[in-house]
Amino acid sequence: MSDYKAVVIGGSAGSFAVVLKMLSKLRPDFELPIIICMHRLKHIRSGLAENLDIKSSMKVVEPYDKERIEKGKVYLAPSNYHMFVEFDGTISLSIEDMNNQSRPSIDYTLSSAAASYREKCLGIILTGANKDGAKGLKDIADKKGFTIVQDPKTAEVDTMPKSALKIMQPDLILSPDGITDFLNNLK
Amino acid sequence: MDFKQFLASFKIKTGYDFCDYSDNSISRRLDKISAESKLSFEQMLDKVMTDETFKNKVIDEITVNTTELFRDPTMWISLYKTLYQQLPKSATITFWHIGCSRGLEVYSNLIMMHLLGNLDRCRAIGTDLNSRVLEIGRKGEYSYRFNLYFKDNFNAVMAGCGLDAKFEDYFDIDESQDKMKVKPFLLEKPKFIEQNLVQDKAPFAYKVDVVFFRNVMIYFNDKLQNKIMSMVCSKMYDGAALILGKQESLTSQMMTRFTKTGQYYQKKVLL
Repeated sequence: MSDYKAVVIGGSAGSFAVVLKMLSKLRPDFELPIIICMHRLKHIRSGLAENLDIKSSMKVVEPYDKERIEKGKVYLAPSNYHMFVEFDGTISLSIEDMNNQSRPSIDYTLSSAAASYREKCLGIILTGANKDGAKGLKDIADKKGFTIVQDPKTAEVDTMPKSALKIMQPDLILSPDGITDFLNNLK
Repeated sequence: MDFKQFLASFKIKTGYDFCDYSDNSISRRLDKISAESKLSFEQMLDKVMTDETFKNKVIDEITVNTTELFRDPTMWISLYKTLYQQLPKSATITFWHIGCSRGLEVYSNLIMMHLLGNLDRCRAIGTDLNSRVLEIGRKGEYSYRFNLYFKDNFNAVMAGCGLDAKFEDYFDIDESQDKMKVKPFLLEKPKFIEQNLVQDKAPFAYKVDVVFFRNVMIYFNDKLQNKIMSMVCSKMYDGAALILGKQESLTSQMMTRFTKTGQYYQKKVLL
């Protein structure tokens, strides 16, 4: 795990179930921070972090602005805010305009993580019905970070993984279980 | 030229001081303007001096102008059940909305005051750096279709508070023109005043009971947060309420002057 500073995950339609299962199966001593940006339906504004927290051995939080990113914690983009990784290892939030019709925007989270962590960033794009996130994952790959795309065949909606595959070549294309195994086997 | 040098020159040339905005946030937005206009920072500075429209565009991009009616309904419901039940019973109640943009939070609060029977003794002030968004707030006229979710927020708050009110009680809707306009009895209440938080004192003489300061300080570094919060704090009555954004908190230095009560902060009474 020393090769990476954080895991950054983006997903939209269908991704909540995937993330829930992944977090529940991660080994208890998984120590990299996990930074997640998921689109959510506008009327479901709370409870997401609480639901993930119950199933996860890691602490799941919706971070406050300027909160320090710590090992062994999961950071979930709060509803209606963009979430960025800053150079000083903190989270910052913004309510600026939507990007790809989305707030939070996965591109924003992933691109900022790419800029801050460079080759020590591990980026994952999951199922989703929007192209948001494709450019962000490409930014991670361009900075020599490690990239994984959920196998479109296993995706509830394959627009998001396919959009990523259209503009970049990830290091791995895996099923949700494959992604979990990969994370659990990180040295 | 890096973004810090750009901001230093921009301050000298225009009087707008963004030097203590948080680094990543402002450099990201400046990069965006640079990419979209296909200009370097040097070229942008030259253009700012000769092209008023471009200068305004830079300011619009740097200052985030997002605002929505009843943003974060759970917070409004919580305020209704707590703070709003404890407001002064007779005297004037003064609200200050800092960074109010197009004024939708100002009108959200006034709707609640109307429902509580407090509208007549309310004083509402909205301040913002950007005179163009303030003008929209004064007019109280917004696109309808693009903002249909205002209605969802409104209905969620009314349901959560157990209040019986309709969106149309407060807005005149003209679907053919794609417009909704705040009704005159609300529109006449607030004062919208330009204020540059970094440089200016509060642009009014009285003290305030409630400060809405949501999702503004997220763009400032700690040093600037402390400076501005000291100014804000000095305009608040003892025991007055401060409401921040859902994911915001006070710096440790400022926290010594407030007590957190549910969704809001209360200014400590100094003995």
